[in-house]
Amino acid sequence: MMEHPDTLTRTGEETSLDVPWNVVVHDDPVNLIRYVVLIFMKIFGYDVKKATILTLQVHQLGRAILWSGEREKAEFYVQQLQTHQLKSSLEKAA
Amino acid sequence: MKAMPTLEGGLRIDAEDASDWELLRCVIGDAQGCEHDLASRLGAVIDEAAGGLDWNEYVVPDLREEFNDALAQVGAAIESAIFHAEGGPGPLWITPEDVFPWYSSFNQARLAIEEHFKFSSTLNIDLETLTPERQAALIRSEFYSDIQNLLLKYVMR
Repeated sequence: MMEHPDTLTRTGEETSLDVPWNVVVHDDPVNLIRYVVLIFMKIFGYDVKKATILTLQVHQLGRAILWSGEREKAEFYVQQLQTHQLKSSLEKAA
Repeated sequence: MKAMPTLEGGLRIDAEDASDWELLRCVIGDAQGCEHDLASRLGAVIDEAAGGLDWNEYVVPDLREEFNDALAQVGAAIESAIFHAEGGPGPLWITPEDVFPWYSSFNQARLAIEEHFKFSSTLNIDLETLTPERQAALIRSEFYSDIQNLLLKYVMR
């Protein structure tokens, strides 16, 4: 098939930064603080100090952002958190 | 009932009579006692903008299977211990290798009790003022919490 002589083809590349996704843990009245610290250390590899600060943030503020980054990894982390029965979700970073 | 850490890094729970075994058995019924199971409740936290529909289709069934497997394993271990003790005094062993299904089961039970009875919304609960059903649920929830604290302290370190 011949190309129409009047057709112009323009090619180009466009790149934009992906909006990161936040992994959010919400407070609940059941999970024990010591357990939550342990799970944050296990899933994210955080040291005990960072895991404790984040746990207290969840407890006192009602929620905390545990991690931000690409969506696929954020989904993986939320699934891990839910497997450990922690109330967690993902949201687009503002 | 008595509970103590073992030299192997586990926990031993000694039931003293049939009522202790009944209390341990309740963990399974409590965990399954909610209209919406835990997997569905966790799935509901993911809103539509974050892919909640896909989450319910692909992730929630895996969560449900994981939670049910833990309950099945713990239920079988309790029944086996009751069988060996012939319903009387006898031990129940929680090894470090099996600790997560145990912790998971007690946690599922406590989450379900809270979901159903909403004890956390009342400050300074007076047992005397509760109905027998709520009294029993609160006592079981506190018992499960005590065992979880022992698991965290001695087994999940």
